[in-house]
Amino acid sequence: MEDKTLRKEKNPLKNIIILVIVAFFASLTLWGNAYFINLLTLLFLYLSLAQMWNLLAGYSGLVSLGQQIFVGLGGYCLAIMTEKYHQGLALSLVVAVAVCVAFAFVISFPIFKMRGVYFTIGTWIVAEALMIFFANWSFANYNIGYNIRMGYTFSPNIIYLMAYIIGIGSVALVFFLLRTKTGLALMSMRDNESAAEVRGVKLYGTKLRIFLLTAGYTGLTGAVLYLNMVYLTPDSAFTINWTVSMVFMVIIGGMGTIEGGIIGAVVYVIIQQYLYNFPGISMIILGAAAIAIILFLPKGIMGTLHSRYGWELFSVRRGLQNKGASVTSLKDILMK
Amino acid sequence: MKLEGLDVFYGDFQALYGVSMEIPKGKIVSIIGANGSGKSTLLNTIMGVNRPKAGTIDFEGKDITRLRTSDIVALGVTISPEGSSVFEDMSIEENLLMGAYLPDPRKRRQENLARVYELFPVLKEKEQQLATFLSGGQRQMLAIARAIMSEPKLLICDEISLGLAPVVVKDIYRKIREINEMGVTILLVEQEVKRSLQSSDFSYVMVKGRVVMQGLSAALPETEVKDAYLGINKYA
Amino acid sequence: MDLFVSAVIQGVLLGGLFAIIGVGLSLVFGIMGLTNIAHGDIMILASFFIMVFSVQMGINLFVALAITIVVMVVIGAAMQKFLINRVITKGAEPALLVTFGISIIIQNILTLIFNADSRIIKGPFSDVNVVSTNWVSISAEYLMNCLVAVGVIIALSLVMKKTYLGRSIRAASSNVTAAEFMGVNTLKTYVYAMCIAVVTSCVAGLLVGQTFVFYPYSGTQYLIIAFGVVVIGGMGSIVGTLLGGLILGVSQLLGALFFGNGYMILIGYIVMLVLLTFRPRGLLSNMARK
Repeated sequence: MEDKTLRKEKNPLKNIIILVIVAFFASLTLWGNAYFINLLTLLFLYLSLAQMWNLLAGYSGLVSLGQQIFVGLGGYCLAIMTEKYHQGLALSLVVAVAVCVAFAFVISFPIFKMRGVYFTIGTWIVAEALMIFFANWSFANYNIGYNIRMGYTFSPNIIYLMAYIIGIGSVALVFFLLRTKTGLALMSMRDNESAAEVRGVKLYGTKLRIFLLTAGYTGLTGAVLYLNMVYLTPDSAFTINWTVSMVFMVIIGGMGTIEGGIIGAVVYVIIQQYLYNFPGISMIILGAAAIAIILFLPKGIMGTLHSRYGWELFSVRRGLQNKGASVTSLKDILMK
Repeated sequence: MKLEGLDVFYGDFQALYGVSMEIPKGKIVSIIGANGSGKSTLLNTIMGVNRPKAGTIDFEGKDITRLRTSDIVALGVTISPEGSSVFEDMSIEENLLMGAYLPDPRKRRQENLARVYELFPVLKEKEQQLATFLSGGQRQMLAIARAIMSEPKLLICDEISLGLAPVVVKDIYRKIREINEMGVTILLVEQEVKRSLQSSDFSYVMVKGRVVMQGLSAALPETEVKDAYLGINKYA
Repeated sequence: MDLFVSAVIQGVLLGGLFAIIGVGLSLVFGIMGLTNIAHGDIMILASFFIMVFSVQMGINLFVALAITIVVMVVIGAAMQKFLINRVITKGAEPALLVTFGISIIIQNILTLIFNADSRIIKGPFSDVNVVSTNWVSISAEYLMNCLVAVGVIIALSLVMKKTYLGRSIRAASSNVTAAEFMGVNTLKTYVYAMCIAVVTSCVAGLLVGQTFVFYPYSGTQYLIIAFGVVVIGGMGSIVGTLLGGLILGVSQLLGALFFGNGYMILIGYIVMLVLLTFRPRGLLSNMARK
């Protein structure tokens, strides 16, 4: 059904643009220089983090400040599987995803009892607790952390391709997910929680699925991030800074839009690189920029472009917004 | 107070259509209308909670259309709001003292407190109780008493008889008359036609966001007001 | 047993300190529904100011505190007036994210100026024990912290009950529209409430800075403690923070006793999560609600 929706897109030009962009970045492995490849590796991985946080906070209303839980767990799984058990990359990544999903499932019981800001802070406390736990856990090598030597065995191009697949994959995942029934449920839930409940949207199940999905995907992204960084400690793995970057990317780009996450990731990575020599200042600028955006462009760059010029690349919103009111037309949108 | 050509919207929905009224100093004016007639919207607009798209509100020669609610109150326009808008987790006395929040009435809060306790002895008895334990009628009295504490020039009473026993209502209306005799202009907003006409000098009837009838209360025929109010015949 | 008693006593005293760390957060949440993510950083910023004035410039500690309060109140008022008030009516999220941004800015400015080194404010009570027997000892510092904290909290609750400022803050948190109908400019009230919260944070910053080493990034840790205190005591309940601090302090020190020092903070976090799960509105919520 999703394929049909895509093929019947009114504007074929958009699909061609998207295809060209996708192909262009894939071809970079053949001719791009090392610095550029490295930059784009970061870009795609951060893009994935942004998309996942956006799916969670922007589309599902689950404003979590604890997504570093899964970045850290993903990294630790990779480190422990390769360093301690000498396993291959594929199995390590599978384990990383599985552990993240399982952990998310376990903490969902207490966490989902918390509402609004309590959820926000609750997730953060879990992350801080994990940081301390790992620092005291002999199995995870205490405070010393791990040198992930497997990282050196891959060429930058291979890691770039992984990041590329994860980044593009995250966009595709969110895009298609929003066009399914779950996506529609999310939209109506976000727009009006009580009304959605009346209409029989299963809030708990839907939110839980999204939470698990983003946990697994963030964990996968975290594992590849650490494969690229080759060194991790509890402090760096579970730092709030991961979520800081996610929040800034999404806020700057525009919450609740796919393009917002893309714009945000590009802006974020560029600012990070540009201010690389002034590490403190770059965070101050990011903080100030985020506040300025919230005050003056509350919908973010993308949201502002969209409401001012109707400009958008991934049209998941248009059909859905019209449908806020009735559920009988659910099928119509999907078949359109 | 003078309202002129007020248009108010909620999103695309227009709630008031060119409402104009005059509320002369020292008089009792009533606005009569059913639920959804736009009375509450009008009051909220006067108090600066809603913003009109067109029209002006003038109080004692000053344009208050765009003022902040607290600044409007500071000029002497006070509302005794509909329903239970007392501060529930504060005592009766604290509620009344909040009424005298503005600098001028604050200086005379003890005299004013004595005055409202005289008007509403039941409040004096329960002085130290939390407002949340009051009955509906007592809350209504507290809301009015609190409004008086601010020494208003214009007191707006929003549906003060709603859900109250007839005896209590009668009592409250007598108090309103007394307050008026102290020189306070009163704007009554009511659903009850008969009592409104009886207890006011001048009346406006509102239907669906428009003023459909107005005149000296004594001169307005009750049956016709009722028809208009119910939306029967030409006024609908 | 000796150790147990000692841990409980120390925990109770520590609880007083925790309460004053949390009370500002509770006040701000109670009146404007704002979760101030920068709360811990504001306190640490105050610690740094006091450190600069007293340790580096050699000013008397109490004068240093007074200057810090003035400076911090100006900062807090500006933050509330020009940033938070502009988004406070648009729901909880934008305001929360603004304070998140403020938090990042404070942490990084502090790091820029002071590096990531640890600091401490040397006070008159360091290394003095009030009670020192074989089985239990109470440090003057912990005792002082607790007394000051309880004093400030009682004073604050009196201000809230007896003054027009306090009443208007309570009125605005009970019903914004009705408060405006009394002539209260609720946005101004928010600024006052933030200033009061900042003053408590300055006192907390002094106490914390004398008792523990602090870093530019310490704010996060104290934010979570403050949040724990408030969650246990009930959001918006000033006296509740004393109970919250007590429970958190005792459970941290008992956790350290049974599982080792490394787990002290972890146990605190777990207690918080458990309480958040089973009493998501705070232990006192039922009583506080009426």
